[in-house]
Formats: sequence, C-alpha cells, structure tokens
Amino acid sequence: MDYDVMVVGGGAAGMESALTLGEMGFQVLLVEKESSVGGKMILLSKVFPTLDCASCISTPRMASTAHHPNITTWVYSQIEHIDKNSDGTFKAMVRKKATHVDFAKCTGCQECEFACTVAVPDHFNDDMVAARAAAIAFPQAVPKKAVIERHGSSPCSFSCPTGMKPHGYVSLVRSGLFEEAMEHILKVSPLVGSLGRTCVAPCERECTRSELEGPVPIRMLKRFVADVHYEKHAEPTYGVPEEKKDEKVAIVGSGPAGLTAAYHLAKNGYQVTIFEAEKEAGGMLRIAIPAYRLPNDVLDRDIRNVTALGVEIKTNHRVESVTALKEQGYDAVFLACGAMRDKKMRADGEELDGVVGALGFLIDANAGRGMNLSGKTVVVVGGGNVAIDAARVARRLGAAKVLMQYRRSRAEMPAVDQEVEGAIEEGVEIEYLKVPIRFHGKDGKLATIESISMKLGDPDAGGRRRPAPVEGSEQTMDADLCIVAIGETPELSEFSEKDKLEVTRFNTLKVDSTTLETNVSGVFAGGDAVSGPSTVVEAAHAGMYAAEYIGRYLRGEELPGKPLDQPLPVVSPADVLARQKSYRKYPAPVHHEVPAAERIQDFREVELPLSVEDARESAGRCLDCGGCSECGECVKACPADAIELDMRDEHEEVNIGAVVLSTGYRLVNPNRLTQYGYEKYPNVITGMEMDRLLAPTRPYNTVLRPSDGKVPDNIAYVFCAGSRDRSQDNRLCSRVCCMYSIKHAQLIMGALPLADITMYYIDIRAYGKNYEEFYRQAEAMGTYFVKGKVAHVFEKDDGNLLVTYEDIANGSVETMEHDLVVLATGLIPNTEPFAMFDQDRLKADEFNYVLEPRPNINPGRTSIDGVFVAGTATAAMDIPDTTVHAGAAAAQAASYLTQLKRKAQ
Amino acid sequence: MSDEKKIGVYICHCGGNISDYVDVERVRAAVENEPGVEIAKTTVFACSDASQQEMIEDIGEYGLNGMVVSSCSPKLHLMTFRGVSKRGGLNPYQYEQVNIREQDSWAHTDDREGATQKAIALVKAGIAKARLARPLEPIRIDTVPRALVIGGGISGLRSALALADFGLGVYLVEKTDTLGGLVANRKSIFMDRKNGAELVTELIEALRSRDNVQILMNAELVEKKGSVGNFDVGIKNESGETFTFNVGSIIIATGAEPYDPAEQEYGRGLPGVLTLTEFLDLVDAAEDEGGLQYNDRDVESIAYIYCVGSRADEDDPSGRTYCSRYCCSAALHSAVEAAHKAPDLRQYHLYRDIRTYGKYETIYEEASRTGSFIMRWLPEDPPEVSEGEDGKLLVRVTDQLTENQKVALDVDLVVLVTGLVPRKNETLQNVLKVPIGNGGFYNEIHPKLRPVETVHDGQFLAGSCQFPKPITESVAAGLAATAKTAALLLKGYVELEPLVASVKTDACVWCNDCSVACPYDAIGKVAFEAKEIAQVNRALCKGCGACVPACNQNAIELEGYRDDQVKAAIAQLAKVVIP
Repeated sequence: MDYDVMVVGGGAAGMESALTLGEMGFQVLLVEKESSVGGKMILLSKVFPTLDCASCISTPRMASTAHHPNITTWVYSQIEHIDKNSDGTFKAMVRKKATHVDFAKCTGCQECEFACTVAVPDHFNDDMVAARAAAIAFPQAVPKKAVIERHGSSPCSFSCPTGMKPHGYVSLVRSGLFEEAMEHILKVSPLVGSLGRTCVAPCERECTRSELEGPVPIRMLKRFVADVHYEKHAEPTYGVPEEKKDEKVAIVGSGPAGLTAAYHLAKNGYQVTIFEAEKEAGGMLRIAIPAYRLPNDVLDRDIRNVTALGVEIKTNHRVESVTALKEQGYDAVFLACGAMRDKKMRADGEELDGVVGALGFLIDANAGRGMNLSGKTVVVVGGGNVAIDAARVARRLGAAKVLMQYRRSRAEMPAVDQEVEGAIEEGVEIEYLKVPIRFHGKDGKLATIESISMKLGDPDAGGRRRPAPVEGSEQTMDADLCIVAIGETPELSEFSEKDKLEVTRFNTLKVDSTTLETNVSGVFAGGDAVSGPSTVVEAAHAGMYAAEYIGRYLRGEELPGKPLDQPLPVVSPADVLARQKSYRKYPAPVHHEVPAAERIQDFREVELPLSVEDARESAGRCLDCGGCSECGECVKACPADAIELDMRDEHEEVNIGAVVLSTGYRLVNPNRLTQYGYEKYPNVITGMEMDRLLAPTRPYNTVLRPSDGKVPDNIAYVFCAGSRDRSQDNRLCSRVCCMYSIKHAQLIMGALPLADITMYYIDIRAYGKNYEEFYRQAEAMGTYFVKGKVAHVFEKDDGNLLVTYEDIANGSVETMEHDLVVLATGLIPNTEPFAMFDQDRLKADEFNYVLEPRPNINPGRTSIDGVFVAGTATAAMDIPDTTVHAGAAAAQAASYLTQLKRKAQ
Repeated sequence: MSDEKKIGVYICHCGGNISDYVDVERVRAAVENEPGVEIAKTTVFACSDASQQEMIEDIGEYGLNGMVVSSCSPKLHLMTFRGVSKRGGLNPYQYEQVNIREQDSWAHTDDREGATQKAIALVKAGIAKARLARPLEPIRIDTVPRALVIGGGISGLRSALALADFGLGVYLVEKTDTLGGLVANRKSIFMDRKNGAELVTELIEALRSRDNVQILMNAELVEKKGSVGNFDVGIKNESGETFTFNVGSIIIATGAEPYDPAEQEYGRGLPGVLTLTEFLDLVDAAEDEGGLQYNDRDVESIAYIYCVGSRADEDDPSGRTYCSRYCCSAALHSAVEAAHKAPDLRQYHLYRDIRTYGKYETIYEEASRTGSFIMRWLPEDPPEVSEGEDGKLLVRVTDQLTENQKVALDVDLVVLVTGLVPRKNETLQNVLKVPIGNGGFYNEIHPKLRPVETVHDGQFLAGSCQFPKPITESVAAGLAATAKTAALLLKGYVELEPLVASVKTDACVWCNDCSVACPYDAIGKVAFEAKEIAQVNRALCKGCGACVPACNQNAIELEGYRDDQVKAAIAQLAKVVIP
C-alpha cells in the first residue's frame, strides 16, 4: 500500500480528517483539486458565532496539514477513478493537473504574477476582481506556489503553422510591451514585417472574437510590433552568436522558408550560406509580392534579422546540384528553391506575344521593368493571391480595364478576401465561372480572347466543386494582354537528374513529412518546392522545422525523435464564450487604407499602420481563450527558473487502505433566482460576495456596491435564496445562511456604523451553541428582522433596488427601497464523488448527497465499506458540525484500517 | 550555542487586521536596533506558509537563537510558530509571541498613534523576554492504552465500541442501572423512524462481545489523579466501594436531560398538559391507525407549544437563552407519527421559529401534509393554557401568521415542546473541572478547531453534555472524541509543555504555602539534604503560576515566566510613555 488512507478534498473536513488520521499514525494522502488547501472556509470573512477571522483559524490548520509528517498533500489533483480490491484495499487513479510551475523550485515570490499579461477572474474573490493567469491563488495559500491557469491552446495559437503563439504577442501588445512582443515573435520568425503584411492569418479565422464583432486584427498587430521596433532599431539589436559550431549548412533559395531555416540554424551557431539565383534576396517575398503590399525596405530589414547572425547570402548564384554543394564542404543542404515557374494553360494561342505568366509579369514589375499598360485592356486568368496581385499591379501600370476570369465562383476563390476587395475598389472587374479557352492573335500578337462559361459540379478531392464548361457559351473579347495566373510549379529537373532526388507526380520534392529530409541523407527540402505554391506562413513553418531537423541531423540525433511542439488541445469558442454572462460588442477594429484612387497611382503601401492606441485597443479585445497566452514573460521573470509551460497532466495510480470523501458542497447558482435579478442588477450580490467584501483580504478596503462603488447604507438580506424552495429543486434548509447573514449584519455594523440592515426571513434558524445569543445580539445592535418572503426585486434608475415582500406581521405586501441586496444563497450537494466509482456503487441519498446508510450509529460510513464521508459531502453543515463529522469519519476510517491490518496479519 | 543573542523579529500586518490601525513599519524600525535583534521584518500574514518558510530560512541563514512574532493572540498561533522554530532548528521555547492584535490594534481602532506606540512597547518587552529565554525540552509521558467513557447513553456506547475497535481498553461507567440513555426509550427516532431501543441493544451486544470492554453499572467517577495519558480514576459502585483504574484518557458522555417545566408553566399540572417526552411515550404506545388515547379518552386535537424551557430572555434567571436544537424536529416528527396512528387528528403547532435545519426540513414538510397547522407567537405575547369545557384544554394564542388574530383552541392535549438541559452532577464537575459554558453545558476549547476537546488534555466531550444534539450528531461527536483519544494513546507517549514550576532548592524552607496554592495537587514535600523542601510533579503541573506569588521565600519559579524575564519585560513596558 502506498498510503493507509486517501482523503479527497482539502477543505475544513478534509484537513480535520487528514490531521486526525495523521495524528493516529496513519499515512495519509490528501488530494485537493484546487492549488491550495483550505476549501471554502478560507474564503470567508469571519465565522459565526465567535467572529474569529476565518483566515486566522484556517491558516494554522492549512499549514499543519501541509507540514504534517504523516500527511502527503497533492494539490491541483483530481480523482479519476477509485476501485475496490478484493482484499478490502483500494486503487485510485489520480490526475495531477499541470501547474506549469515546478513546485520544488517555486518560492512563492509572485514575480510571475507581476509579469503576467493575462487577467483572469479572481476566483478567490468570487470573480469580483481580476487576478493574473500566473498567480498564487490567494495570499495565505498552502502551499504558497504559483499556478498558471491554462484551459488549453488558444485557437489562434493552435492554428498558427509556425507555432508562433499569436495569443502571446497579442497580450503583450495589450500590455504595452511592444519590444517584448517583438522578442516573442523573433523566437519563431525573423520575417516579422513581412508576415505582418502578407500572412494569410489562419489565426484570425479561428479567433473567438469573430463570434462577436470580428476577429482581433492579429496580423496587423504583428505588423505594428515590427513597425515600432524597426522605427526604433534600424539594425537588429543582436549580432553573431558567441557559440560557433563547425558544421556548415547550405540553403538553396532565400524565400521565407530559406530565410527562416537560416535564422534558426545560425542562432544555434551553425555556419549558414544561402544561395539565391535572383539579384536580390527574398524569393517570392521580393519578386512576387508587390511593393504596395510589402515595401522593399521592410523586407530588407527582415532579411537583416537573418544576416545579423552571420548568415551569408550569395545572390545571382543559381544552384544546379546539391551533390556539388556537399562536395564544397557543406554538411547539410536545405532546398527551399520555391515554385518559380508559371504553369501553362495549354490553350491554343498561349504562345502569342501578349499572353504572359503572372510570375514573370510580377518579377518584371517589382524590378521596375514593368510594361506601360496605359489605356490597355488586361485579362487576368485565375483566382489566387498571385492573380489578384497581378491584376492590381496591372492597374498601377496604367491599364484602363483589368478583368479577372475565374473558373469557379467567389466562394471557392483562394485569394484573401481583403485583397479581393482591395482589387475591386481599385476598379478590377471579376468574372466568375469563366475561363479563356483560346487566344486569337494578329501579327503574332494577342488580339482577342475566347472564353467559355463554367458551371460547378461535384466537389473534387480537395472539397472544392469541380467546374465544367457550359457548351455553346463561348464569347470573345478584345484584349491587349492576358496574364495567366493559374499556379506555379518548382523547377526541379536538374536536382532529380543530377542528384537523384525523388520527385512526386505533382512535380514537387518528395520528403519525409515530419523531418523534411529527402531520399538523400543530409538533404532536406521545404516550402513551395515541396508543397507546391502555398503561403508565406507555410513556408516559414517549413523553414523552422527544417532548421530543427537539420540540427538534429548534424548533432547525430535520432530523426524524427521527440516532436517539436506539443500544444495543448484547442479550446472551443463555445467554452470561452460560456465563461462570461454577456459580452459587449464593439465597432469593428480600425483598419485604414490609402484611398483607391490615390494608391493606384504608384506602388505605395496600401495598408496604413495602427496607432499605439488602436493597437492596444484592438489587442484588448482578446478573450484570452486559453487562459495563459504563452507570452513567456513569467518564464523570464521567474528567478527560480520554475516555470515549465510544456508541463502536462500526469496520472498516478495509488494503492490505499481506505478513502475519506470530503468533497464539500456547491453554492446555489443565484442566476436561477430570476425573480431577484442577480444576473440583471449589479447591486444584487450573494452572501459569498459579501463575505469577500468584508474579509481582511477583501478586494477593496471597504464594502462597495458594484454598480457605482457607492458605500451602501441600506442593505437588504433575502433569506432562503434557493433553499427551502421546491421551485429551485432544493427542499432542504441550508443550515448556515441565517447565521452567516447575521454575522454579516454584525460585521457591517462594525464597518459601516450608519448602515441600516434589514433581514427578510421565514424562520431564523439559530440552533447551534451560542447561535441564538448571537442572533439576539445582532437584533440588539439594530438589525431589522422582518418576517416575510421576498417576492421579487426591481432596479431603479439610480441603481437602488425595490424589494417587494410579504410583511407577515401586518399581513400586507410591501415594497421597500434598498441600495444593496444580498441573497443568502444556500448550499447544494457536490455530486463529483459519485463519478469516481463504478456505476451506482457509491449511493446518493434522495437529495443527491453522499448517503450515510446508518447515520444514527454509523455517521461517516457510506454504501461502500472502506469509503467514508466527512463534512458537507453528506449534508449542509456549519463549521463546528463539519469538524465533528470529519472527526467521526476519521474514527470510522481508523477502525476500518485497524481491521484491515488485523486481517492482513 | 554562543552567548551572543540573535533574535529574529517579525511584525505581522494580519492582512490589515493590525496594519490598518498600527504603523507596522514604524514598529519594525523602532525595534530593529534593540540589543540582540539580528533581523526585524514585517510580513502580511506571518502565519502563511511562505512567511513560515522565510522564518525557517532566516533561522538558518542568520543563525537565530531567538524569535519573536508580533501578531495575534498566542491562543491562535503560539503553536504555529513554535512549530516553525522547531522546523528551522531553533528550540521552540526560545520563541516568544507578542499579541499586538487582540491586545492592541483591535482594542484601539480609533487611535493609530497610540496603538503604534503600544505595539512598540509590547514588541520590545517580548524581545526582552526572548533574550532571557532558555532552550527547553518537552516532558515526555508514557500513555496508558485504556480509556474511560463516562455515560452509557448512545454517544458513550458508540464511543466505547470505537475505542475497542482501535484495540484500546475501555471502562464504560453508567450512573444508572440501564444503558442507552434517552434513546433507549424511543420507538421511532427522527428522521429515519428507526427504533432507538433496537439501536441501543445492537450497540450493547457488540460491546459485550469485546473482551477489552468493561461496563460498570450503577457507578460514578468520584476521583481523578494524574495527567494526560496516565490518569488514576476512582469509580464508586452502588455499594459505596471505590475502585481505582488506570486510563490514558477520559471521554465525557454524560448527556443532557429533558427540561422539566415548572408547575403551571403553560398549564403544566393540568390533565392533558404533557411534556414532549411524555407525549412521545404516549405516541410510541399507540397502535398504527388505532387512534391516540389519553386517560381513556380519544385524542382528536393537540396543541404543541414550542420553545418551552428554551430561548429564554437574556434577563431570565434560568439562563436558558439557548435554542435546544433538536426539539422542533422531534416535535414535528412526533406529530407525523401521531398522524400515522390517528389520521384524523388535528394538530396545532404554536411556534416561534421552526428550526428543522438541513434535511430535517422534510419532517416539517411531512407534518404540514399530515394535518398539522402552524401558528406563530411572539415572546412578548405567549400562549396561555387553561382548563376548557368537557375535560378539554383551552389554548389562547395571538397568531402572527393570520394578522395577529387572537385564536382560542379547544384541544384534548397540550404538548409542551421541552428542550434539553444539562444534567446536574456537581461531584463529577468537581472531579473533571471542565469549564461550564452558556446554559450550563461543558465547554469545548474552540468550537471550530477543537470541538470535542476540553482545556484539560486527555479529557474529551461527546454528545449532549456539550450542547443539545440529535442522535446522529451525538454519535458523531462521540466518534470524533474517540479519534482524538486514539491519536493520543496509540502513539504510546505524549509530550507535555516544559513551562512548569521549579523549586530553588537552596531557598525553599517548606512552608506548604505553594502546595496549598496549587490547584492541581502537583506540589509535594521531599527531603533534601538536611531539610525538607517542596517538589513539583512536572507531569501534573499546568504552569498556571499560582504557586509563584504564594512563596514568601521567592523560592519557586515558573519556566518561561521567570522573574528575570518578567522584570525585563516590565522594564521595557515602563519605559514607553503612551501619549
């Protein structure tokens, strides 16, 4: 047996049972699901009828529990299953939830909390104020260790192919930590400015904020971060890494894949040379993406992020054989040569002068060799981003009419919406379900284009509906230029012939899908050369992966080995939205562009930057879906190096002799009491909220009402809120609400001597030792006790509340105005323990509490021999009753364990 | 240990409980240069885990050989910080607690300056005392693996059985000739309608089958000597002989008894005016659906008057201001039972507040469904009972629930819903010396933290001797007391506070004054060299200090409160002029 007994739940009952059993000499495992022991008692202000400070009497108990030599405490852990063995012992599966903090190292200094950029509701303060996602649960927590609240991966971070964790830099921008945001992005990609302008932003498609007014403008925030940083730092703030390795890596192609791979390899000390066939580095970023989307100086600055590390880029240097490179002494090669050849339509007349490929057209235009298209009619074939780029460039080169023909409909069009709309604004016309079939020339030069209409048939393998020509729908139009943008393909013939690299039937390089290694050892490939034409962000992703696996290859490590990144499961937007009662919808985030008429005059950047205010405001819309944003500030701040963001839940099986269930109670959900307006009226609060407002560890320094922060002076208590009420499915009396309300009355009269307090009650249940006297004392202090059930509560314009009640003393229905209403919400069963056991083995009573089959002579026993129940898991109870009951459960467990030991001997 | 004193001083904010009224930083600054102070710090919650950890580290880092925490009452945290000292490697008795909360911040919430000055004085006095504190070791006493249970009611029976289960020897002492107490006579107990007599029989049979249980009937505790873990108890049997038994602990399960109303209290004395107990007997005796009879007459209507003997006014000479907790549920349960036996019965419940707490609420619901009506009276206008016509009783009540209508009820029976009162047994109280609280019930140390323990180590409370309780709660308390007993006795030894009196052998002339002053019989006479002197039994001494001022030779001292320590503390307090 690992432990004699397992106590489930570390509240008042659990601690008492554990301490008593520990004192008896039993080895106790205490499992608590929260990050601290203390349960609900530590949340209270003071306790009736002695008015002891709850913290003061809880903390010594919490500390003695944690420090007891016979008690092992696992916090942040949950029981998944408990099975009884044939010998009367038990086997339990415990899930130790990832705290993301190494408790052995954490000193409780709170530096992570101060650094954390994510605000979450402060559960300790009943969600009335905010806490940080990295935080110690409350000041007296035991153990006093930080826990990082993570619900899973945020959808944005989960969707980013590069693993850049957009949630991280969004929360950093929100906090005004722009340099830190840059650092965060630079951990993954050097191409901050480029991605901030050209990324197709899968993150925004997944953004939960889309369910409200629209996604957080994540891409623009990245651009903002780059703009701010580049404005301040014309050159990178770092240089060549100090640690140099001997291995040399050759990278073919300086596009996003090549640059990213070079960046990571160089950061790790490898000597990297990039070979670029064109005159300037940048690949597609330079030659295909027009300057109005990505200005050259931004790309140059991005590239300097790579070259600052000592990476050499040899331009005008076409590589024709990787074998040759290896012979030159390169230990590994990364082929990122892109897909640089325009695909042909294979239509009659395609060879005519005036029918050009889009890539060639864009290269010329970007290089300043663009043709003068003044007054010309241009037809662009295709519906991808390149087609749109070509069309918009054509307008900038003076074309009078630019017509796009796309063989499918708008819905299937792969181009980014914002680009399509930009093109339309600039006067580009788009004909859907149309495609040229023949080019007619005059003197070898294009004169007319014959096109045919299409209709959509069944979906193809990729899910897009396949277009089919509509017979007899041919039409002919005059055109001066036709730009064919139906895709690009890599130029691989030399590699396949000379280097024997395998090529797929789609004319792409064949690689291992994880390691990106080709059939030739030490030769890796990625980007468009492998995937076919794709996005910048996909290429960047490939570059990062290639760097990782090339590194492993060079170090002689196993490929593929440990996965690069193991994100937590993604959080569902529905779960995120369910966290809060309601959300405000804001106007769509600011997005400014140069007016179309102006911008088509030249190649100036279309999209205008975000101001600091706009950036922080937009970032502030983030819903922090995953909780922790993975911004990494805590990791930097922790002096003990205790933060482990990649920590994951662990399961541990333990063998124990007996089980004590001290899983406590739940509070009545006040939202169900619609007649009292808890959801609607801010100044209707619960008893627990009032306890927090009155506690020494209170969120404010006095009692404030929520709507306007006014100090209340006329407070009403609604008794039996959700108790003794069949309409709320709770017939029972909750045993504590009368008394805690009376306690509040005494405390409020101490804190706010001028306040009037009215208690609307059915019966005052002051049945415990010194309770009746405590009640009389409150009455003598001036608390009004009105016998009568409250029917409903309405709010006035000034936030005050009209309380309508039956005044039993006068037999009338009255309405009274108060400035704060406290619902004396009751206790309901926590049904969690039932799921821990095989179906129906642990019996519930008719009220769904854990059943004590013979409460008269065997309190603390359950329907399973060897499983005991302590405290409010079996019935609502006040603290003295809980302590006594927990003592009884401990005695029962001890008796069972003594028998077990006798049997074993 | 070097002679140089190195004291760590910690001033607690208590999360505002202190720092709202005392400038803790000024206190810290004022004491940091006191002689012997190595470090002085403030802390938000001295008792928090992190602060404790910090103190432990400080003890090691600074080589502390003394520690002072200025926070709350030592009743709360003396043991906490002694534990911290111990874990840090500092002798726990070189720790000194200074109370600047109950005795300062809470007492002077209107005077920040004064409270701050007072705190400085108190802390300096504590430091002065700590400078002179000596390392001490606890007094270790071997424990006896047997327990005494006083009272053979349901709580005592169940306690005895549990102790036997743990392998401890048990003496169960019952004053009367029957076991089972109040439960033994009940045929249907709330709320599961179980037969109380059967439950009691089951427990007695189980106890009789154990060879480590001895049941002593018609017997009483008359004497108690020794201390925790090792008591000699004198039990007198019915023939007046006293036998001594050696036990490690004592569980007090003497129960309570029904309140006996005074003659004419709510018509008491008139035929048909019954106490709740008498009524329960009547109901128990009746057959199902056979109707209820009283004095050979069918009972058709009953008025219950609640809170008889309970919830008295503050100035009532009885002192019974408490609510008896069980009677609402018991009375309503009896009404439900009565309705089973006489389905046409009309029952009127004249109540103040119905206190069917928790699941007992369902009894109230059931009574409402089975012909019970409720009427509420206020203490200033209680119901009156008088003789009616045809042998009936007339009850007049002003019912708040019907707009204060004056109602006259003709009923066959009036049931006085009587509460529970403590059993009177002065002999026992004198032997046990357990403090008596509100209403005359035994007091626990702390209702939340130590609800079944008394101020006397090794003496525990079980059941209604502490406060009225329903059966299940009495039994739970009895079991909790057995758990505490087991924790004490199963280990085999117990460690006692070494803060006890000691005699200066050279100064003592044996005048007997100290022995007379000692309330614990801890001081005796011994021969020492050529003279006789006093000697303190360290296991019995409670460190109360009563002997110290009694000695006219200044020959007796209390460890932890030695004259030099107290004088040094007073000297510090005397220095400070409070504005």
